[in-house]
Amino acid sequence: MKNRFSAAVLVLMIASAALALRLAPYNYASQDRDAAMAPSTARHVTGTDELGRDRTVRVAAALLIGLAGAAAAAAITTTIAAGIGVLAAFSPPWATAILMFVSDAFLSLPWLFLLMMARSLLPLTASPLETAVATFLVLAAFGWPACARAVYRGATALRSAEWMIQGHACGLQPRQLIRLHLVPHLRPLLLPQFLICVPVFIVAEANLGALGLGVGEPMPSWGAMLLELDNSALLARSHWVFLPIVLLVVVLLILESFTAEVENHA
Amino acid sequence: MRLPVKIAARVGRTLLLMVFAAAGTILLVRFAPGFFSDVREMDTKYAPGARSEMQAENYRQSTWLIASQVAKGWLDGDFGQSRQFGVPVSELVGARIRVSALLLAQGIFGGWLLAICGALPISGLRSDRLLWGLPFTILLAVPTAAMATACILAETGGPVLVLSLLIAAREFKFLHGLLERAWRSPHLLYGRAQGLSWRALVRMHILPNAAQQLCALTTLSIVTALGALVPIEVIFTVPGVGQLAWSAVMNRDLPVLVAVSLLMACVVGVAGMISKDIFTLEAA
Repeated sequence: MKNRFSAAVLVLMIASAALALRLAPYNYASQDRDAAMAPSTARHVTGTDELGRDRTVRVAAALLIGLAGAAAAAAITTTIAAGIGVLAAFSPPWATAILMFVSDAFLSLPWLFLLMMARSLLPLTASPLETAVATFLVLAAFGWPACARAVYRGATALRSAEWMIQGHACGLQPRQLIRLHLVPHLRPLLLPQFLICVPVFIVAEANLGALGLGVGEPMPSWGAMLLELDNSALLARSHWVFLPIVLLVVVLLILESFTAEVENHA
Repeated sequence: MRLPVKIAARVGRTLLLMVFAAAGTILLVRFAPGFFSDVREMDTKYAPGARSEMQAENYRQSTWLIASQVAKGWLDGDFGQSRQFGVPVSELVGARIRVSALLLAQGIFGGWLLAICGALPISGLRSDRLLWGLPFTILLAVPTAAMATACILAETGGPVLVLSLLIAAREFKFLHGLLERAWRSPHLLYGRAQGLSWRALVRMHILPNAAQQLCALTTLSIVTALGALVPIEVIFTVPGVGQLAWSAVMNRDLPVLVAVSLLMACVVGVAGMISKDIFTLEAA
């Protein structure tokens, strides 16, 4: 019941954001120079930023970009983790040791530091879209080790299951065993990993953006919207500056509730 | 004989992890555009001959050459010179370690204190657990950078408070689950039925049984805190290792980056090793 309510709120937020983008007469980069740092008006319901860009449109775009990017990155990470975890579980011991060592090596460095390093080393002259893609790809590329460990543990347990041994004894090829037995049984393990990754990636993008290493301007993102809070002149004129952070917390709480629900079921 | 071998294996693994982290950093920075020359010079809009200049630089310095120079320097106790500040890296990092270590220690201590003070009574409740744990859940949904900015805007708290809240939110989730399971175990139910006080149950049964997992969680806290160090130090302008790392990343300062990566890998590796070896030693 609680989960259905959370899902309904999230769907409502996504639909509202899509509708706002569709109906608004401006796009996220349009500047209304006569209304820079404007408070709430009939033209700009939630005001504008320091360049006169409509906040409602930018927040709506940030919500959609953040959710879509994080979900795509989480899907890539889960796929990589599933591949590496299964490979490690069904490989000879020396290959397992190497794969797990590599995943430990990634885990031995703090996640945000690793992301910051990788993201900042990408070209500085990239377009906003390229920076957005690069940011979420970097998240996907470095998010897999913890998931891979969980998948490895699950796959190792499945490897020694009686029905797997029986399938092997019946002459099923390793590829058939993986497709027919392993993947369906790993699915309940992969869904929580995916759901855990989405809020983690959204938070990571927000932190990277706040450090100036996230999605490039003028494309809106949670991180870039947080930077608005540094502008004291903007804060003095309108409380709508806090809208992005409030929405971000609501989105993350909803996603956390999904994760908690799935974890409880597991 | 088995125990020294086990400890040696873990030390070897930690050292190997450090080498891996250093090699990864060198590779990453080596192939980053703008490592050999300023990115504005490389862009054809600014300098027509930039590509040929970059190619010439690439020929002059291979990855292997950079790695061997770095390794040779470490063996001689020389961590190189910072490209942006022009001072020895050891001097630069050494001066900032104390600041970051103090912040980490205070933040982790504060975070654990908050998490334990929250999780111990809440896990023992029979109802409304979700409601009492709500502040920690909300904290979990606030990005570090937003928390730090909110503190600055409210002119309340500082880096230690933000780090403590972050650690408390993360650890509360694990601690709450751990303690909730512990309260439901049969020997505790029996103890309760026998009339043992709450304090006695926690002191005699819960804490000793959960010690190993708590120790492992401390290692996780260190990793979390190290990651959060960067935005916190940058936003609060704390002159620590996190701020140095951010500045090095922005300026492609390879010697500083390699030193900071090594330092972080070393701290995490040693913390993990200690948390596991304490129990190996106890078992022995």
